[in-house]
Amino acid sequence: MSNVTEKDIRSFVDAVSGYFYQISEEQAEINAAFLVEGEISATTFDLTGYITLSGNFSGRVYFSAPRVMVTRLLLIMGEADRSEERLLDAVGEIANTIAGNARKHFGENMEISVPVTAATEHDWLQSVVSPRSYVILVKWKQYKASVVVDIQRTR
Amino acid sequence: MKLLIVDDSMIIRNRIARVLEDPRMSHIRVVGMAPNGVDAIELFKMHKPKLVTMDITMPEMDGVECTEQMVRLNPDCNILVVSALSDKATALKALIKGARGFIYKPFSDEQLINAFVELTNS
Repeated sequence: MSNVTEKDIRSFVDAVSGYFYQISEEQAEINAAFLVEGEISATTFDLTGYITLSGNFSGRVYFSAPRVMVTRLLLIMGEADRSEERLLDAVGEIANTIAGNARKHFGENMEISVPVTAATEHDWLQSVVSPRSYVILVKWKQYKASVVVDIQRTR
Repeated sequence: MKLLIVDDSMIIRNRIARVLEDPRMSHIRVVGMAPNGVDAIELFKMHKPKLVTMDITMPEMDGVECTEQMVRLNPDCNILVVSALSDKATALKALIKGARGFIYKPFSDEQLINAFVELTNS
């Protein structure tokens, strides 16, 4: 099990919830649990963005979503270009924003890298994250996405 | 009033530029966009903008260092930090380096317009 607390995890859930509400003025449905508890799997979608943590924490925070959902988000943001490059930019920016917003709880000693993005296939997340990861499943409009918090305190 | 937009996300750069199409923002003109601090400094020297929007987490050179360098080049420039990093220490660090405003991502059009209004009025 991870050495992060329930309060730590809550900050990511709040950041995810806040992100979708601010972007669309609609609440996303959120279902969350530790991967090891087996209630939710670390679902991989078409596109994934992640940031790496350093400082008092190590690990990564992932955001994975289907192309159709990211395209809809771009539309809401007023972005006319919906190329693969823009879609990847969007998942990276979302991962960065969720982790950055969670820093309100963790403080500046949780350092955040620039995002890395990739087109991903099913089960990719399952193969790279640890069993102690926390999975936040998001349902926004008719789309599903996942945020996987795979972090540990180092100090 | 000339504006330079600095952010490693093209979507955010475009978004900020689009918000400036609002009639209330007609006095602001985008003269350049940069995806990192190094390119931003070059554009800053070239265009001498009065206003800058500045991301913090960027490759090559982050927004705090970039802010410090820009303020050294022109102490009168108005830098608005636009960042997802919502801890108080980051905002404070940017303000100490010379930024004059801070807005958190994700932002609404109205929040960004209000931030520009406050900045340009001050």
